[in-house]
Amino acid sequence: MHLLSVSITNFRNITEAHLEFDPDGTTVLTGNNGMGKTSVIEAIGYLATLQSFRGAPKDALVRNGSPSAIVRAVVNTEGRHITIEAEIGAQGRSRTLVNRQPVKRRSELHGVLRASVFTPEYVGVIREGPSWRRSFLDNTLEVLDTRNEAVIVEVDRVLRQRAALLRNGGRRPSPEVLTTLDVWDDRLARSGSALVEAREALVAELQPLIQKHHDALAGASVPVTVTYGRSWEDDLASALVSARDHDLQRGITSVGPHRDELTITLDGLPSRTHASQGEQRSLALALQLAAHDLATARLGSAPLLLLDDVFSELDPERTRALLAGMPPGQTLLTTALPPPPEVEAARIYRISLDGWTMENPGGDGHGVAV
Amino acid sequence: MPLYPGPLQDLIDEMGRLPGIGPKSAQRITFHLLKSPAEDAMRLAQAIVAVKERISLCERCFDVAEDTYCVICNDDRRQTGTICVVEEAKDIVSVERTGQFSGRYHVLQGSLNPIEGVGPEQLRIKELLARLEEEDVQELILCTNPNLEGEATAMYLARLLQPLGLSVTRIASGLPVGGDLEYADDLTLARALEGRREIGNA
Repeated sequence: MHLLSVSITNFRNITEAHLEFDPDGTTVLTGNNGMGKTSVIEAIGYLATLQSFRGAPKDALVRNGSPSAIVRAVVNTEGRHITIEAEIGAQGRSRTLVNRQPVKRRSELHGVLRASVFTPEYVGVIREGPSWRRSFLDNTLEVLDTRNEAVIVEVDRVLRQRAALLRNGGRRPSPEVLTTLDVWDDRLARSGSALVEAREALVAELQPLIQKHHDALAGASVPVTVTYGRSWEDDLASALVSARDHDLQRGITSVGPHRDELTITLDGLPSRTHASQGEQRSLALALQLAAHDLATARLGSAPLLLLDDVFSELDPERTRALLAGMPPGQTLLTTALPPPPEVEAARIYRISLDGWTMENPGGDGHGVAV
Repeated sequence: MPLYPGPLQDLIDEMGRLPGIGPKSAQRITFHLLKSPAEDAMRLAQAIVAVKERISLCERCFDVAEDTYCVICNDDRRQTGTICVVEEAKDIVSVERTGQFSGRYHVLQGSLNPIEGVGPEQLRIKELLARLEEEDVQELILCTNPNLEGEATAMYLARLLQPLGLSVTRIASGLPVGGDLEYADDLTLARALEGRREIGNA
């Protein structure tokens, strides 16, 4: 799968942009802050997942004063050209077309455009609370197989129904409430266990890859462990039964996939609290590169690698290590500073007030450096 | 936001409260009515009044009805020992189109949905229990939607009714006819495998 081109209209601060990418190598987007480099990455990410990886609501994606934003990409999949087109409404209606056929749900995209994204905010996966790490696992599961979306959505919905039931009838539960609770618990036990087993299998596959990428970035072998911790023991169904009185009193669901934690240690110490900022960044990058590797192996071709402003985060040695160990496949990276000399850019776009210009239009894909 | 003369704005507001109709559509429909011949608009108005005056819920099964009972409950040819439980009256139409069911129905008027504040007390479940005794029911077919809330409702009813010693069945769910295995989601495919049947002699 290769991204050939993207056209963007009224997305964030971009009025109009058309960019063409090198199908196998690295395309660099450079220019000052606030010109829209990240917005290009975000627009491409939107076509892959139908949501902003920054968690922004849809109306924030539309340029101020416009009724809608349009993002169109042409993807080459095994020689076939596929057009993905998304119209994002400032209020209400958004729609997505794949080769002019409307797509209603994310799973119906069937991963036409797959992307691994890394942005500076992504360090939250190490630094912030457990929900970031659960999202990392769930997002990776969805990239590996779009059909995983169904079980993730179901768990979320059951949890919300159970929460509403506990909130409204929990304190002095009627027999009806208790029987209804049995029903929701049964659903939660089934889909929740399926989700957690999938997450645990994923963690086992990711562990050696994370170690490999972290070693390469750090330039030394420091043990990294990644451990999935369930919020219950034995099976979820009986854990829900044991927790019931407590849950009724507190009006919450205290056990389940939404309370699990993924603990990541560096050299035996919890990385969330003990790792330095730079170490946290390297770890976060290692996590995403591991997920990228796994997706490449599982899907048979590399997802598009989107690296937003990654060099400002790393010291020169780690930058060199990252570039030396760059996974094969198509990469799109942004940088406000001139790209480091090791970047083998096949194509460089510079954004200025006059719009996007290609710096080396004769780029032949063989290490044209600036 | 510009306001139109009173009656016009009233109609736009009323239209806008209907499901699936946003402010723009409400405005378009209203101006369409304004332009169309008076008798067309009157026919629509009368149809709405007639529905509200003459249609009520069947006292037995809570389907829509013009009399005390609905057409199906009034039909002597329908078998009485089997009840098909659905969420909404419109689901009856779907089941009837198949021509595969000749018993009677029971409309729950919704599904279990705590987020929307719908619990067992809000559904016509008490009335269903009363019917089981009155009508000597042998089989109950749970025909709620195969989504989360419909499944939960079916499971709730199954727990409630199975101890009563009648046969409670759930409609099968799985792959759509004419579909493609490759595009089925995991849950649907897993469900279809669970509900597999011996092939051949039937």
